[in-house]
Amino acid sequence: MKKIGNYFKDFGQAIAHGDIWVKLSLIIMGAGYFGRKQIMRGILMTLLQVGVLASIFGVFAPYMSKLNTLGTVQREEIFDIVTMKKTVNNYDNSLLILLYGIIGILVIIAFIALYIGNIKATYRLQKMQENGEKLNTFVDDIVSFKNERFHITLLTLPSLGVILINIIPILFMVCIAFTNYDENHQPPTYLFTWVGIKNFVNLFTTSQTITFGYAFVRVLIWTLIWAVLATATTFLGGILLAQFINHEDTKFKGMWRTLFVITIGIPQFVTLLLISKMFGDNGIVNTFCSNVGILDFFKNIGLLNAADSFIPFLSRPGWAHVTIILVNIWVGIPYQMLVATGILMNIPSDQIESAKIDGANKFQIFWKITMPYVLFITGPSLIQSVIANINNFNVIYLLTYNYKTTNMAMANSHANEVDLLITWLFRLTNEYSNFKMASVIGIVTFVVCAALSLLTFSRMIGGDKEGVYR
Amino acid sequence: MKKKLVSALLVSTMAVSAFVGCGAAAEETPAADSTETTEETAEASTEDAIANLIAATEGTVNIDLWCSETEEYQTVMKKLCDDFAAQYPDVDFNITLGAVSEADMKDRVLEDVEAAADVFIFPDDQLEALVKAGALNEVAAQYTYDMNETDTPATVEAAQYDGKQYGYPFTASNGYFLYYDKNQLSDEDVASWEALTAKAEELGKEVGCETANGWYLYGFFKGAGCNLTENEDQSNNCDWNNETGLAAAEALQEIASSKAYKSYGNDDLLANLNDGKVVAYVSGTWNVNAFSEAYGDGYAATKLPTFKVNGEDKQMASYSGYKFVGVNAYAENTGWSMLLAEYLTNATSQEAVYEATGEGPSNTEALAKASSPALDALAAQSEFAELQRVGGNYWTPAESLGKNILEGKVSQQVLDDAVAGITQPVE
Repeated sequence: MKKIGNYFKDFGQAIAHGDIWVKLSLIIMGAGYFGRKQIMRGILMTLLQVGVLASIFGVFAPYMSKLNTLGTVQREEIFDIVTMKKTVNNYDNSLLILLYGIIGILVIIAFIALYIGNIKATYRLQKMQENGEKLNTFVDDIVSFKNERFHITLLTLPSLGVILINIIPILFMVCIAFTNYDENHQPPTYLFTWVGIKNFVNLFTTSQTITFGYAFVRVLIWTLIWAVLATATTFLGGILLAQFINHEDTKFKGMWRTLFVITIGIPQFVTLLLISKMFGDNGIVNTFCSNVGILDFFKNIGLLNAADSFIPFLSRPGWAHVTIILVNIWVGIPYQMLVATGILMNIPSDQIESAKIDGANKFQIFWKITMPYVLFITGPSLIQSVIANINNFNVIYLLTYNYKTTNMAMANSHANEVDLLITWLFRLTNEYSNFKMASVIGIVTFVVCAALSLLTFSRMIGGDKEGVYR
Repeated sequence: MKKKLVSALLVSTMAVSAFVGCGAAAEETPAADSTETTEETAEASTEDAIANLIAATEGTVNIDLWCSETEEYQTVMKKLCDDFAAQYPDVDFNITLGAVSEADMKDRVLEDVEAAADVFIFPDDQLEALVKAGALNEVAAQYTYDMNETDTPATVEAAQYDGKQYGYPFTASNGYFLYYDKNQLSDEDVASWEALTAKAEELGKEVGCETANGWYLYGFFKGAGCNLTENEDQSNNCDWNNETGLAAAEALQEIASSKAYKSYGNDDLLANLNDGKVVAYVSGTWNVNAFSEAYGDGYAATKLPTFKVNGEDKQMASYSGYKFVGVNAYAENTGWSMLLAEYLTNATSQEAVYEATGEGPSNTEALAKASSPALDALAAQSEFAELQRVGGNYWTPAESLGKNILEGKVSQQVLDDAVAGITQPVE
């Protein structure tokens, strides 16, 4: 709060105590520089001002003025059957209004910040002149971007990128969640408009016809279970595998490693599609299982009904969940093995040596020294891979794109038992054009991910964990 | 001839004559005269319109055309587009062919309507979604033929929505029927599902229908006498949870419990067909080559079988399927795109498409020349086939209902939930 207060106090002081050039730059932003003979800088600043103002009034203002309704004029066309030409009215495009409206607001905010900063800068220049300090020439300014202000040079591009590909789309998506953008309101032909928090209410509503609440809870639970299990299994498996390969008695270490790395070499897309075909209800694995009697074995131990003619590896809840996790282990372990190999090679050998001298056996060494060390090193990347698994579209979608649910309540909101939030979102947008609910789900996913990473990161990295381990 | 154009002009003439009628009743005769003259000018003006268009066209006319990715389609479309361009030697065309699977056409077009193809070929079940998104140009007038005279009324009507014509009828064979191997199955065997499954069990072979798919599932419930209709706001009316519906679901469950009955998706169907396991299956003209190759001289097709509901034989119904050529409402050259769409759907083009792909024409003249077991089967099924008009909320619940039937989980509760999902209100 104090910082914000100071920010505006400085601004007020600059205006109050500034000389004529500072006051002039309230209107012409370059004036403060012209007064100090910084002609080039003045011209650039004025050009920037003109450019930004022109774009605000010329490009963004028409859209921004319609932001409150997201457009009122629907597209209408008249086809002239004699000239075979079509005339179209000047219609509103809700999507563009929303997009340009958001960009416009961002531009205005940035411009205000620039404006305030500019007044302060010119006031600083005035003070420097009064104190008889040397004022930078244009060449000095350019040079400073290579030296003391090098960080600005470096960070400009990345921060522009973050704004363009992160902030604007996120704001856009958040806004969509408060509109009725669905298959009946698709721009450019039709308009959509604000509906308040209705979509959020729907997501947490369960009735016979609106089952989003029912489906959401189940999808969220499976998403979290999946993320944790998928991460934990591949992580443990990867370390164990690396440990086995690193073992002193293992021969042909290079060959084993290469063999496992080859699975990475084949694109996941191909492997997963193949696996989903192989494990399908009529796939090759099922044919094999019924030929060698595994199908009957499952029936005898009660895992399947007597009437089943195939093993529903990927087509029944429970079965599908287990298969997905197992397949993911197979797909994911080689990556973790590579990571773990690097870490295992760097474990300080003195600790292991001294443990051996103290009489610790191999399991004790693994659980008390190797695991804590690996966990400490890979902690942040583990959290990151939990997040990545929450959004692991590939594995789930490619394995279960044929999955059909028997749960009517799930089906009524276009979800199924093996959906992650992200695959559900994909189906809603891609097949049902239900962008409003997809945005709501997107926001919820974002909140889950953000909360999870904030919580775990602050626990893991915060405090003096480093000291404790050492 | 050129009825649309004529009627449009007639409306304006009638407006004029109405004023005339107000003035004096005696002047009725001249009003009628003027109608006649308009009709003549109308005929002339279709050619004028094209001539005007040619005159008004400058530079290259770019038209994107999206159609099925199959080789047959791509080849025949390429040829037809070249022929179209050759018709207008004064105009420089640049027609680009794009390969988009027909099942995905709607999704691809709606990704970005303004960037999508100017002309595209789509199945009738996507018409509604495309109209709802405002992606289709209304066929306000026709210039080279009149579909009301040249095409079967059912196909023309299928391409209408809210009384407006949105598509040019292209093929009329996108429905489903029963393929079977006549070397292994007799006419009596394919007459009913009960006989069919019994015979297949005896042979140790497979028969079936993709039950966990709303498109096919509809046939059983409709055949039993249940209804599914669409309201104006795109929600559905559905009575599948009444007594008849429950009986139909149980009957279907009984049929599906047979070891021989399979519900394959298209990929699994083709794989098992090639293995020689499948002796009869419900499918459509898109698989005509696969079935004729697999069955050889035993290749045959017929209407869908009957099934027993409450002890009574009921004929399984079906959705009739059509393909249309649509013009994008945001097309760059609406006039030329409409002319291309007309060209692609005229009698000669439809004949060429039939010869290349085996799909049945919607044009009566072309249809008369076309004959194959598949088309005959479709014709036999046609009296039990319904035009597909159903809201988007139907598909997922229906798919789930089909899956419940396959797994033997039919109950009043399941049907109630399915109907609740199918009929859920649309905001």
